[in-house]
Amino acid sequence: MSVKIFIPCDMAALSVGADAVAKAVEREIQERRLDAVVVRNGSRGMFWLEPLLEVETPKGRVAYGPMTPDAVPSLFEAGLLDGKQHALCLGLTEEIPYLKNQERLTFARCGIVDPLSLSDYISRDGYKGLQNALKMSAEKIVEEVTNSGLRGRGGAGFPTGIKWNTVLKAQGSQKYIVCNADEGDSGTFADRMIMEGDPFVLIEGMTIAGFAVGATQGYIYCRSEYPHAVKTLRRAISIAYENGYLGDNAAGSGKTFDLEVRMGAGAYICGEETSLLESLEGRRGQIRPKPPLPAIEGLFGKPTVVNNVISLATVPIILDKGADHYKNFGMGRSRGTLTIQLAGNIKYGGLVEKAFGLTLRQAIYDFGGGTATGKNLRAVQVGGPLGAYFPEKLLDTPLDYEAFAAKKGLVGHGGVVVFDETVNLAKQARFAMEFCAEESCGKCTPCRIGSTRGVETIDRIIKNEDRTKNLEVLNDLCEVMLDGSLCALGGLTPYPVLSAVEHFPEDFHGTTA
Amino acid sequence: MALLHELDYGTPASTSQQLVTLDIDGQSVTVPAGTSLMRAAVEAGVNVPKLCATDSVKSFGSCRLCLVEVEGRRGTPASCTTLAEAGMKVKTQSPKLAKLRKGVMELYISDHPLDCLTCGANGNCELQDMAGVVGLRDVRYGMDGNDNHFQKSSPRYVEKDLSNPYFQFEPSKCIVCSRCVRACEEVQGTFALTIQGRGFDSMVSPGGTDFLDSECVSCGACVQACPTATLIEKSVIAKGQGEHSVVTTCAYCGVGCSFKAEMQGEEVVRMLPYKDGMANHGHSCVKGRFAWGYTTHKDRITKPMIRKNITDPWKEVSWDEAIAYTASEFKRIQQKYGKDSIGGITSSRCTNEETYLVQKLIRAAFGNNNTDTCARVCHSPTGYGLKTTLGTSAGTQTFDSVTDADVVMVIGANPTDAHPVFASLMKRRLRGGAKLIVIDPREIDLVKSAHIAADYHLQLRPGTNVAMINSLAHVLVTEKLLDEKYIQERCDLEAYAKWSAAMAQPKNSPEAMESVTGVPAELVRGAARLYATGGNAAIYYGLGVTEHSQGSTMVMGMANIAMGTGNIGRLGVGVNPLRGQNNVQGSCDMGSFPHEYPGYRHVSDEATAQLFEGAWGVKLEREPGLRIPNMFDAAVDGTFKGLYVQGEDIAQSDPNTKHVEAALGAMECVVVQDLFLNETARFAHVFLPGATFLEKDGTFTNAERRISRVRKAMAPKNGLGDWEITQRLSNALGYPMSYTHPEEIMNEIARLTPTFSGVTYARIEELGSIQWPCNDKAPEGTPIMHIGGFVRGKGNFVITEYVPTDERTTAKFPLILTTGRILSQYNVGAQTRRTENNVWHAEDKLEIHPFDAEHRGIRDGDLVTIASRAGDIALHAKISERIQPGVVYTTFHHAVSGANVVTTEFSDWATNCPEYKVTAVEVRLAKRLSEWQEQYREHSELTRRIGSPVAGD
Amino acid sequence: MDSHHMIHMANSIALNFSAYPREEAIKLTTQHLQDFWEPRMRRQLHEYVAQGGSGLHELAAEAEKRLKK
Repeated sequence: MSVKIFIPCDMAALSVGADAVAKAVEREIQERRLDAVVVRNGSRGMFWLEPLLEVETPKGRVAYGPMTPDAVPSLFEAGLLDGKQHALCLGLTEEIPYLKNQERLTFARCGIVDPLSLSDYISRDGYKGLQNALKMSAEKIVEEVTNSGLRGRGGAGFPTGIKWNTVLKAQGSQKYIVCNADEGDSGTFADRMIMEGDPFVLIEGMTIAGFAVGATQGYIYCRSEYPHAVKTLRRAISIAYENGYLGDNAAGSGKTFDLEVRMGAGAYICGEETSLLESLEGRRGQIRPKPPLPAIEGLFGKPTVVNNVISLATVPIILDKGADHYKNFGMGRSRGTLTIQLAGNIKYGGLVEKAFGLTLRQAIYDFGGGTATGKNLRAVQVGGPLGAYFPEKLLDTPLDYEAFAAKKGLVGHGGVVVFDETVNLAKQARFAMEFCAEESCGKCTPCRIGSTRGVETIDRIIKNEDRTKNLEVLNDLCEVMLDGSLCALGGLTPYPVLSAVEHFPEDFHGTTA
Repeated sequence: MALLHELDYGTPASTSQQLVTLDIDGQSVTVPAGTSLMRAAVEAGVNVPKLCATDSVKSFGSCRLCLVEVEGRRGTPASCTTLAEAGMKVKTQSPKLAKLRKGVMELYISDHPLDCLTCGANGNCELQDMAGVVGLRDVRYGMDGNDNHFQKSSPRYVEKDLSNPYFQFEPSKCIVCSRCVRACEEVQGTFALTIQGRGFDSMVSPGGTDFLDSECVSCGACVQACPTATLIEKSVIAKGQGEHSVVTTCAYCGVGCSFKAEMQGEEVVRMLPYKDGMANHGHSCVKGRFAWGYTTHKDRITKPMIRKNITDPWKEVSWDEAIAYTASEFKRIQQKYGKDSIGGITSSRCTNEETYLVQKLIRAAFGNNNTDTCARVCHSPTGYGLKTTLGTSAGTQTFDSVTDADVVMVIGANPTDAHPVFASLMKRRLRGGAKLIVIDPREIDLVKSAHIAADYHLQLRPGTNVAMINSLAHVLVTEKLLDEKYIQERCDLEAYAKWSAAMAQPKNSPEAMESVTGVPAELVRGAARLYATGGNAAIYYGLGVTEHSQGSTMVMGMANIAMGTGNIGRLGVGVNPLRGQNNVQGSCDMGSFPHEYPGYRHVSDEATAQLFEGAWGVKLEREPGLRIPNMFDAAVDGTFKGLYVQGEDIAQSDPNTKHVEAALGAMECVVVQDLFLNETARFAHVFLPGATFLEKDGTFTNAERRISRVRKAMAPKNGLGDWEITQRLSNALGYPMSYTHPEEIMNEIARLTPTFSGVTYARIEELGSIQWPCNDKAPEGTPIMHIGGFVRGKGNFVITEYVPTDERTTAKFPLILTTGRILSQYNVGAQTRRTENNVWHAEDKLEIHPFDAEHRGIRDGDLVTIASRAGDIALHAKISERIQPGVVYTTFHHAVSGANVVTTEFSDWATNCPEYKVTAVEVRLAKRLSEWQEQYREHSELTRRIGSPVAGD
Repeated sequence: MDSHHMIHMANSIALNFSAYPREEAIKLTTQHLQDFWEPRMRRQLHEYVAQGGSGLHELAAEAEKRLKK
């Protein structure tokens, strides 16, 4: 049998030359007339090692990286097919501490399988969750998801099972499952990785969701900046259709579940669920007031489950291994695993799937290896552009929804962006307001006008114009945005602003005047 | 009354039957489930501050002023989007809320010019009000140096859009509440407005162009919804705010919208649709809201005039002289040519009281039944057809009924142009999921418009309506889609048996009729199935049904299928004529027809005749009088010599103009009572200036039988109300009338008409409006007719044999001309042509299909001749695919067009309603206007001269 | 009125009732002329029939006979 050489086709790997590496490997195999094949897998999530090449050997997969096309011939010289030593050799992939110390449930297959191989998927426990679900009543599936403690991984952390139950109970001639794949938070990539690396798990999760609530149609709303994910998903969906896992009598269930990918409209706000629904319906991506909840009146006014990619991709393992298995990970009311995405000024950027409860410090230092520049860490922003800036003294906060909330922060979608001592938090606060102004849908007043006024006010503070008064104005403005905004964009923008003022007052008081 | 401000509940009413009780600021209030906290608060007497909410559109939740606190809940939810729940405890005021609201207002004002004192909305601005309510005292962001939309130096500043003749758009004052956008979508259904850009860039835009070039239909819903001066009437900019309001009823179409005339003394500042108006619920169209300038137009004649010959210049005389002259002429003519040699035409634009008086004048003072009205040329077949089948000469439903329809069938009507306010209501229901079947030769807007698409468009050949209705009936009968139980209970079974046997004949099948109608049989079958099985099915129809040689037959055909499928007698169903003029229903009700007394009782009915003889104190004629076309024929024959025409322009609106002109020219005394020297006045010997609807009291009855008050807002510019003029004429003729107010006339009507016996001004005042029948059995009126049984007893199925019209295409006249209306102009255009509405429709054009145009070498904009066997005219061509090859289409709003020069004398077999919708014509390139058009210009000039008043006269 | 036009009107009425059994059709046509035609129109019809009545639909001709004179 041919030896398998794995080179990721994940966007992160491609951006650092994975295609060129793959081409070089193909050439070597041909020239050397070797019995080997290249498999384009997803990413393992160790971005500093990309492109990461792996070769399958009897003792396991051996990793080499970061690869360059130039290094490829020497790799073959060194005996790649037998997993021999080389300057770039990292040993057995599974033994790399970064990976070994993770608890990969949702990402169990990501980076390992050929994303478009249904047989790979099935051979590694794929569709086991669905098989179990088929034996269960809709209520039982919902109960299982509820018991698992799974909460919305998009950022809001709303219990998935409860949302599903609302849709299940809602009356409607038609119901929908909508997957929010408009991953727009800075420093996040988990959704993209799973869509590119293990698309079937999302398809399976959505199918289970459909059966659980009585929905026959699903949509994946994927941001337009993810062309590879869209392409991979579309191909995976057509493979699923061809093999009877989608469509009428999906997976032999006797029920229908259709699935379609829709390309997003390129606005951050379309990641907000009601705005996303507006966009899916072909309108301007503008926030809808809630109530009515999308679970009652969602897409086209019908009961709709709107879940994040990771939430839906986690459903199969819950149905496969059982709610208890999943629930046993985590702490407090945050059950299961969090997909931490390390980015910014960090030495080892990448994806870390780990049970809730790990401290921020552990994530940054034990996995991330500290700042990339080697300078002192000054601030960390968790949860995307609307997350609070945490100073060094808060690094021992465990990654847990409630623990973060207690420190006026948010876990959000799990993005962790690290800044070293050169950062100016007044500028970061200004950036937060600017981001809000840029991405505001323009519907509600606090966000529409407030964000622009926020930028102006911070500018005045930076320029030391009436600083005391303007800090008070900024504070009042933040209160209006926090309590008055229609959605989380305006409502959370004060988080980075106020945390910057609170934890880094020196940046607002004269140092840059 | 003072300036009227209807209470704004902030969000629409909930229709839920379930009630919930909650506590708002310590007050217990009970509201239907689904009511917003904001609305519940208003019910409890508490006004929560708001800007983006108004009860004509759905809650939006954008301004964030209406935040409240709910006990046991986190945060400060918006009261407009949060629904009331049983047991909720809501606080609308707290220090926290006060701070948030002030903060929101501070943001608003930081992007708003501070020119309140010179602003058009001063005194009527919600932004101003809210700044006051929240106690905003300081804008700490400053007003200078900030990014904003209002300083001319700002890159965001956008100039005013003055393109619409009636209102302006000033983006720099916009607070982006989207009320205008939502009103355009939800209230009007046009979707002309949008928010352009995102975030702080967000701007209201009429689709990236100016208002005039946009899809905007100038209904004014956006202007009404605007809380600031951003969208504001130019009349208010010019004159300022009104100081008192007069609630009255629109004098345009049969929708009968209720309006508030906002006045400064005797001058109208603006017309605002009245929220409590049951026909329009606070909505209006471009005509009613804006096109009232004709009431003070310089063309208006305010002094009576007489002349011996129509080629003489007019001579202004006193009222006494004019009346005395008229009376003497009528007496002379009757003496010379007999009692039946004169007659009159009542006006469907005048009030019920005035119409009643004119027919009374004719029957009692003229001593004959030669009375008719414009319904002759529009909905007389409706009267005949619905009376014959159901028992009442009127539509079965209230307008609101359409919101309960599941299938809407629109036949030969173009509601978005001709009945725009009802069309908006219908479109809302269609967007809400009702199915739509359109039967029309032309692709009217409804077939495909924003968020609406017809499920079936049966694009039949003009003149084949009855073939179509019979095909539909054939499917219903043969596919057993009829409601047998309903028929058994409520219909005449013998008639039903005959009808169903006739309809089942193979000759009526869609397949057999396909070659006649030109509509694929499968579509007809599909439409019939949908009509019968789609739930509540409602038929709405217009002049495309009635103005045919088989107009009455078609009306009965529709009534047949509605009865057969059980679609009469409850909400959401029915057979509904969309009647043309503001009071055409009323003029029919009031006995304008030559064969009927008020309340549709035949003149030969002895009991009725005696009732009126007793009341009026004269002997009355038992034989029917002449209908309008019969009058013309008799005039040409020389037996009809005198005519009193109140508010109707027969010379323009009636078919076969040359014949009409010959008839008018043959008369010895034509008396025209009108606002303007209309076309008929060219042939008149006496001109009696009329009063506008703003100048008198009375009532109008709309297409849903709704009697609404018309209230005097100013003194008549001509000195007299129209009813007073009729009364004077009657007295001069020796038949005394002594009414001192129209109310006395209504009391007489009620006394003599069983369906009106409960109608009084006091009762209308109390109920807002009343739908007849209103009597002891129905003291509050009757929104839906035929509940539980038909007015005539058993529903009567009438066999509707298809008899093709004799108006057929030939080698000489190979095309079919059909006519219709347009939104901005109203009928003969006497009113709208004297307003700024001309910017939308300055001339009548001929729509011709590209195929027919190319064949004749016609390009868009070419002058073309349209010739029929009756005559020819020239119009500019408009190439259009809205009509099929073989069919051409035009409007008839402009007198100079002379559209009726082309139409012929053929008419409905039962009522003589002209066959306007089918004329065989040829179209060819023209070099100049037609002979008639040229002569018209000359004649018009000659006959409209007004001589200088004689000194001391 | 032009007699051709009058005959056209009378015939249209007859034709629209012609789907009914003959006796009923005559009755309906008669009643219609009685109810809606002004006496001088009916007079003209009688005169026309008296002069031969050519071109008149058979049902209309029968109805004319039954009209009150």
